[in-house]
Amino acid sequence: MQKIWTIAKREYRAMVGTKAFLLSVIMMPVLMLGSLLAMSIFQNVSDVKERRIVVFDGTGEILPHLQTAAVVRNEAVRRAVTSDESTNQADAGGMPSMSRGELFLFEDAGLDEISDADRLRFSQAVRDESIYAFVEFPRAVLDFPLPDDVKVRFYSQDSSFAEARSWLTWLVNDYVRNRRLQSMGINPQDVQQASAPIPVAGMGLVERSASGEILAPREKDRMADIVLPLIAMMLMFMVIFMAAQPMLESVLEEKSLRIAEVLLGSASPFQLMAGKLLGTVGGSLTVFLIYLAGGIFVLQRRGMLDQFPLEMAPWFVAYQVVGVLFFAAIFMAVGASVSQLKEAQSLLLPVWMLMMLPMFVWIMIVQDPKGTLAMVFSYFPPSAATTMVLRLATGVNIPVWERILALVVLALATLAVIAIAARIFRVGILWQGKTPRVSEILRWGFRG
Amino acid sequence: MSEQAIELRGVTKRFGQHVAVQQLDLSVPRGSIYGFIGPNGSGKTTTLRMILRIFRPDEGQVVVLGRPQGSVADDRLGYLPEERGLYKRMKVRDLLTYYARLKGFYRCRREIDDWLERLDAVGWADKKIDALSKGMAQKVQFIAAVIARPELVILDEPFSGLDPVNMEALRDAVLDLRRGGATVVFSTHDMTMAERMCDTIFMIFRGHKVLDGSLDTIQAQYPADRVRVQLSDPLAELPPLEGVADVQRHGRCFEFRMTNPERGQQLLQQMAAARPLTYFEVVKPSLHDIFVRIARPENGTGSDSARETRLN
Repeated sequence: MQKIWTIAKREYRAMVGTKAFLLSVIMMPVLMLGSLLAMSIFQNVSDVKERRIVVFDGTGEILPHLQTAAVVRNEAVRRAVTSDESTNQADAGGMPSMSRGELFLFEDAGLDEISDADRLRFSQAVRDESIYAFVEFPRAVLDFPLPDDVKVRFYSQDSSFAEARSWLTWLVNDYVRNRRLQSMGINPQDVQQASAPIPVAGMGLVERSASGEILAPREKDRMADIVLPLIAMMLMFMVIFMAAQPMLESVLEEKSLRIAEVLLGSASPFQLMAGKLLGTVGGSLTVFLIYLAGGIFVLQRRGMLDQFPLEMAPWFVAYQVVGVLFFAAIFMAVGASVSQLKEAQSLLLPVWMLMMLPMFVWIMIVQDPKGTLAMVFSYFPPSAATTMVLRLATGVNIPVWERILALVVLALATLAVIAIAARIFRVGILWQGKTPRVSEILRWGFRG
Repeated sequence: MSEQAIELRGVTKRFGQHVAVQQLDLSVPRGSIYGFIGPNGSGKTTTLRMILRIFRPDEGQVVVLGRPQGSVADDRLGYLPEERGLYKRMKVRDLLTYYARLKGFYRCRREIDDWLERLDAVGWADKKIDALSKGMAQKVQFIAAVIARPELVILDEPFSGLDPVNMEALRDAVLDLRRGGATVVFSTHDMTMAERMCDTIFMIFRGHKVLDGSLDTIQAQYPADRVRVQLSDPLAELPPLEGVADVQRHGRCFEFRMTNPERGQQLLQQMAAARPLTYFEVVKPSLHDIFVRIARPENGTGSDSARETRLN
C-alpha cells in the first residue's frame, strides 16, 4: 500500500505540477466560452455597412414606402451602433432584429418592364459589388386575393441569409396586409390590437427554501436550461480528457525510456497500475475542484449563486471518478502497447468517438432527458458519465435508482476494463520493438 | 541463507523462433563482483532481465537471493538498465527520493546527499534530468540503483558514456559496495574494466555460456601464444618465418600469434638471427584477445548464423 501511495503521489505531481496542466486548465474554458463570446462581440461591434439595393417596382407605390421605412431604420441602426445599445429585441410588430449594422439604400431601377437581359445586367452589378442586391416587385403583388405564383424576388450573393431579405419580407407583408385591410374597410390598428399575443411562460417547479418557506415561482431561463447541461457535459469531457491524456504520455515515457524496468524491480505491475490510476483520479478531482470553485466564484460575483445546482456536485464527482478510471485504464493499456504517441492516437480514435458520442446528440438528450436515446447512452459505459451529468443538469428529476444503476453499470464495466488493461499493461510495458497488432493486444488482455 | 546470490539452472528463454538464452547454468556467490561479457545480442541483457524477474524463463530455474521465481518485486535488488531509465522532467533529488521510497527506503535524504557529493554531482541536485549530460545522467542512474542499499546490484553497461575520471569514480563506488557486503553483477564491453574489477568473468555467446571463471582460470584455458616483439631498426619488417600468424603492427612493436606455442624458444632464436631485437615477450592472452577469438564471425556454425550475430 505504501508503494501504491508513493507511485500515486509522483503521478499526481507529474500531472498537476506542469505548466502544460496549468495552461490547459485555463485554456479549456477560455476556448469553449471564447467562441460563444467572440460571436456576440463580433455581432455588436461589426461596422456599419451601406447596402445599395436596386428595386424594380411594378406597383409604383412600394418603393417610396421602402425608402421612407429605410430612413427610419437606418437612423435606428446608427444610433444603436454609436450608443452601443442592443438592437436585438424584436419589435411588437414582429420586425426582425437588426443585428448586423446594415444600412439600406433603395434605388429605383428606372424601368417599366424587366427583361432577362436586365436581370443579367443587375446580377453582374451584384457580382462586381457595385450594388448589394436587386429586388423585383411584380405588379400582381397588390392583387387581392393574391394569385398563386406571385412572389417578390430578391437577388444577392447571400440571398438565403441576407438580413435585407428578412427585413423586406416583414415590411412588404406588413404594408400589403394593411392595404388589404383598408380595402375591406377595417382599421389596421384594430387588427393589431385584436391579435396581440398572450405569452405562455415556462416556469421552474416551485421549491421550499432551506429555511422552510415556499419560494416564489420563477420563470425559467431558456438559455440557462440549455447552457447549464452543455457546460456540465463539457466539464465532464474536459476532466476525463485532462486525466487520460497525461496517463497515456506517462506510460509511454516509462515504456520508451525503460523506466518501467526499474519500477517493476521495485513494485509489482498491480501496484504500479493502481498507483498510477489513483494519482490520475486525484489529478482529475483537482481539475474539477478548480472549475467548481471558479464557477461558484463567478456566479457569486454576479449574484446568481442560487441558480447553481450544487446538489449535483456529489453525483458529478461519482461519475467522474468512475469515468476517469474507465478511460485512464484504456489509455494506460494503449500506452503500454505502443511505442509512439502517433500509434496511440490512431488506436484511440474509436475510444474518442465513443466518448464524444453524447456530444453529437446532446441537444436531443437535453430536449428529452428521459427518452430512449438518453437511457441507452446512460447505460453504455463509454458515454455514461457525460450523458448522466448532461441529463442531471437539465433539472429534470432522474430517479435515484436510475442514477445508481447507471453508476453501477459503469463501475462494473470499469472493473472489467481495469482487469483487461492490467494484463495488457503487464505484457506491453516491457514489450520493445515492433508494435503489436490490435488482435495481439486484445489477446494479451483476455488470455493474460 | 544460501551461499549463492544468484543461481540459474538449465535456463532457456525464447522470443518467438529465436532462442536468446539456451540451457544456461550460472552461480554467483554472495559478495562477489561478477562480470558479464559477450557481443551485442548474445543474451547478456536477457539473462540480467531474467534475474530481475522482468522476463520469466521458458525452461529452468532462477533463484535470486535464496528465492525461487515469483513475480514479486524485491527491495533487496538494485538495477541500472542499459541507458536511460529516468523520468526526463523530474529533478535529480526528487527522482532519487522517489526511487529510494519505492524500495521502501524512506529516510533517504542523507544518503542521497552523500552519494551526490561522492560522485561530484551536488550542483545537479535541483536540475532536471533532461538538462544533464549523458555521463551525468549515467551517474544519477547509478545512484538510483544503489540508493536503497541493495544486497544485489545489477548494472547493465554502467561504464558506457563515462570519461576516464568518472569511470574511476564509479569503479571505486562499485568496489566499495562489495566491501559493504553487496553482490555486484555488471555487463560491460570494456574488457580492461572487466579484467581489473571482476572476481569472476562470465561470457555468453549466442545464448550459450562460453566462459565462466576467474581471469586466471580463463587465461589458463587458452595457450600463451601471443608474442610482442620490437626490432632495433624502426623501419625493418618482421622476417617471414614459419609458425607466425596474424601479424599486427603497433608503431615499432609487432604482435603475432605462434601457431605452435611449444616452439617459442626456437622462434626467438630464429628471429634474433634474422633481425636485431630489443624486445621479445610471450604474453598471456588478454580478455580482449579471448573475446575476439570466440566471437569472431568465422567462429559461427555457418555463414548465416554469423551474419545474424552481427545484425543482433
